[in-house]
Amino acid sequence: MGGLTRALAARAVQALLVALVVGIACFAMVRLLPGDMAFRIAAGRYGIDLVSGAAADAVRVELGLDRPWWQQLGAWLGGLIRFDLGVSLVSGDPVVDELKTYLGHTILLAVVALGISVLVGPPLGAWLGARAGSAADRAGLVASAVLRALPAFVVGIGLILVFAVGLGWLPAAGVGGWQEVVLPAVTLALGLAAVSSRVARDAVAAALHAEPAEFARRKGLPEGAVRRRHVWRNAAVPVVAYLGVQLVALIEGVVIVETLFAWPGIGHALVHAVVARDVPMVQGTALVMGLLFVALNALVDLLTLLIDPRRRSAA
Amino acid sequence: MSDLVLDGVTVDGPQGRIVHPTSLTLRPGVPLALLGETGSGKSLLMQAVMGTLPPRLSAGGSVRLDGTDLLRLDAAARRALWGRRIAMLPQEPWAALDPLMRAEAQVAEVPRFLNRAPWAEARRRAGEALAALGLARGERRYPFQLSGGMCQRVALAATRVAGAGVLLADEPTKGLDTALRDGVTALLRAEAEAGRILLAITHDVAVARGLGGEVGVMLEGEVVESGPAAAVLAAPRHAYTRRLLAAEPAAWAPWPRAETGGVLVEGRGLAKRFGAQRLFEGVDVALRAGGRVALFGPSGSGKSTLGNLLLGLLRPDAGEVRRAPGLVAPFVQKLYQDPVAAFAPRRTVGQAIEAVVARHRLDARATTRWMEALRLSPGLLARRPDEVSGGELQRFALLRAMLPGPRVLFADEPTSRLDPVTQQEVMDRLRDALAASGAALLLVTHDRDIAGKAAKDVLALGG
Amino acid sequence: MTAARIGWALLAAIAAFGILGPLLAGDPLRQDLSATLQGPGAVHPLGTDQFGRDMLARLTHATRLSLGFAAVAAVAAAVPGIALGLIAAWRGGIVERALVSLADAVMALPGLLLVVLFAAFAPGEFLPLYLGLSLALWVEYFRLTRGVAASLLARPAVEAARLFGFGPWHVLRHHLLPELAPMLVTLLAFSAAAAVTAISALAFVGIGLRPPTPEWGSMMTELLPYHAEAPLQVLLPGLLLALTVLGLQLVAGARR
Repeated sequence: MGGLTRALAARAVQALLVALVVGIACFAMVRLLPGDMAFRIAAGRYGIDLVSGAAADAVRVELGLDRPWWQQLGAWLGGLIRFDLGVSLVSGDPVVDELKTYLGHTILLAVVALGISVLVGPPLGAWLGARAGSAADRAGLVASAVLRALPAFVVGIGLILVFAVGLGWLPAAGVGGWQEVVLPAVTLALGLAAVSSRVARDAVAAALHAEPAEFARRKGLPEGAVRRRHVWRNAAVPVVAYLGVQLVALIEGVVIVETLFAWPGIGHALVHAVVARDVPMVQGTALVMGLLFVALNALVDLLTLLIDPRRRSAA
Repeated sequence: MSDLVLDGVTVDGPQGRIVHPTSLTLRPGVPLALLGETGSGKSLLMQAVMGTLPPRLSAGGSVRLDGTDLLRLDAAARRALWGRRIAMLPQEPWAALDPLMRAEAQVAEVPRFLNRAPWAEARRRAGEALAALGLARGERRYPFQLSGGMCQRVALAATRVAGAGVLLADEPTKGLDTALRDGVTALLRAEAEAGRILLAITHDVAVARGLGGEVGVMLEGEVVESGPAAAVLAAPRHAYTRRLLAAEPAAWAPWPRAETGGVLVEGRGLAKRFGAQRLFEGVDVALRAGGRVALFGPSGSGKSTLGNLLLGLLRPDAGEVRRAPGLVAPFVQKLYQDPVAAFAPRRTVGQAIEAVVARHRLDARATTRWMEALRLSPGLLARRPDEVSGGELQRFALLRAMLPGPRVLFADEPTSRLDPVTQQEVMDRLRDALAASGAALLLVTHDRDIAGKAAKDVLALGG
Repeated sequence: MTAARIGWALLAAIAAFGILGPLLAGDPLRQDLSATLQGPGAVHPLGTDQFGRDMLARLTHATRLSLGFAAVAAVAAAVPGIALGLIAAWRGGIVERALVSLADAVMALPGLLLVVLFAAFAPGEFLPLYLGLSLALWVEYFRLTRGVAASLLARPAVEAARLFGFGPWHVLRHHLLPELAPMLVTLLAFSAAAAVTAISALAFVGIGLRPPTPEWGSMMTELLPYHAEAPLQVLLPGLLLALTVLGLQLVAGARR
């Protein structure tokens, strides 16, 4: 399985790059932000009333803030690799503990959104692709173009105004039962399905008249078998490959949509940390968000390898 | 087994008649080869028989098989015959096989869905069909793991496993080198000898000769001559058939001997690898001023790579290349297999030639002289490369290469994508251009006959 | 063809609104607390917001801001991206490998996350947004240019040009640019759409540009609590944003 090893190795490198980029950015943030870092960390740890110059000095020595910058960067990145992410400057809790609850919520949202988009987009696209050029196909093209032009937060506001405020069917914000996940997940899924349905439509329209399908017909196979065995499978290759591209939109959408719906996930926490300039939290949330991106990409890689034997070869 | 009888078959398109009334009788055991150049209508005739004409075209006349006129059947009834009664080999099997499915499954699905055989039985029959073609060990592989020749066999096995008695083959040797071409021809001949009806379309006289049986010659939508292959190819009556036969490289007159001078390029002990694969090693070759050397071999033997080493476009892994002083651009020129790719796509042919004239401050009259010598019409200068025919564009490429007065011309498979008559025309002009300019020729070809006619020194690689 | 024409018409109308509007409309920051959340009328054609500021003035200033931002960010990403892509394809070897590694490092994170990290340095300011977006977007130009240029440079036509003694400028002008240009125009439209969306999305969640600067995303955040009294005011910034992105996508060719 040469293809599998290669794909996983590439994703491992990507995970390291995520840590490097996030780590360096947050290290630079600490050095460039106005105010005394040690003082702010001490304040976060002991409470703003109890902090003293001595406590700040202790923190400074402990974190090595008195050493040259490159030694500090090395220590900083070393901590990152060991997943030692420090303490939130706002809550005073270890960042890792906070991330655990947030991550569960984000994964739930991302998986539900991805699930809805996969159940809606590609099947709809395949149906339209088999009718390329028809009125339904043209209507699908227009609908997809309009939906793609709408940013996630505009779609989300529209859904809130209609289904939460107007009809009162679903809650507009928060977390709890299944009702809360519906609107944010549908917001994300609509954008994803608008694209994946188009990709699937083009792939199916092409595969229907590609050489392998024509050859299968000439071999005498009934149309049902031609579609099942040669059209859907070949059309799935670009659709799955495009799923990888869409993960960028999913992760970006999660940051925005979680904030809009007050969904207590990583993206929500990231935005709050940036506003509060809570550098350890910014670093922790950005890191986990990046690693989630890498993990989802790895899953798409596995799916691609499963479908396409050419990718499995070692060459 | 009944005959397949074409009676007054026509194909009409929006712009009028493309295939004129054609009558042919195909008998089991006697292959029929339809010979003709690109655009002669031979493919459309076959598609009319199969029932796969594009929607804008329509067929007339009658095609009778087992007492039924196929052209009177509706689309569903025609499709019901595919695989069971009448089968068609794909033109390029490596593109027609499903890239995601193992070879065995692509054969086994035919008995599974056509004869409702259980999967185990279908797989057994597929295994037998593949083994009969010498592919017993290829069945578990995917198409990308198979060579072109193996793909050809898998496609043949899938095409005939349901027992169709009529086999149609559209350009079955397209893109194959000489050795593979002869292998496929023998394979098809064996199909006919097993009692099937075989109709093959080709532009290669050698394929028609190899199949034996009957031959029909098509020109501009009409069969101008037909009969037993042995008789037609030995004593052609129609002028076009004679031209076609004369265009066969084996029938060419050898090029006149050239005056040669000192050594221009010399390679000693040359070796080159491509990844883990060794292309060649220990090759010695020398090209003299005004001389002609042909590098001949099957595809993948590294003959083009060797040519590029001698020109200094690549470096050898081992050995050394010595070139005479001053033998650099623009005094080294090259012709390519695909002339369209050798020109910038969005500029006209005339602009490309003017740029060379301007770059080297040449006399504009040189262009006119070469245009006449190469029999090129000035009207073509205003067209883009993809708006000129392949033969004309290759002659323009030759013209452009001759402008700076090269001492060496490297022609890398310059005619392998051309029809035989066009191929001969281009090679004749190449011969004249070399004679007029005194340039030396380094010719790469997969055709042993072309190599032998053009050059005294033939270096065979690989195989 | 018609889709692209509709796209150009949309963009032209929005650009006219953004360029000419600020000259004609009033002060987007002037409050009038006696006339908050008014509907469209003679004085305020598109009504007023929660501080009684003229919506038309705010929308037209916001349009100018977004279009200008998108243009600058897209060009700031395109110039280094194309240049480095050409250098990588032309030089190959270690130069190419180093540039590809750099691009991989940037691509490791989704682009918006990179912009958020930059915005964290100085929330509410322009410069980090520009820097973050350019850094995230140049990779697209780099990858496209390098990929296309490498395959074009491997064409026989380029080898032939060299054998005729033509230099790099000739190859660039006649072999690379004519093929690259249409793809780069498409990419320019896509990255402008990405920039417009990103700046509004970040302002919407509160880490981009901040009130009172008139900006589509932050206007929606500000007005959202008043959706019952002033639905039009909530809707208009989103509509303008969507039309701009739609226009850019249609110009880019509705594909991808």
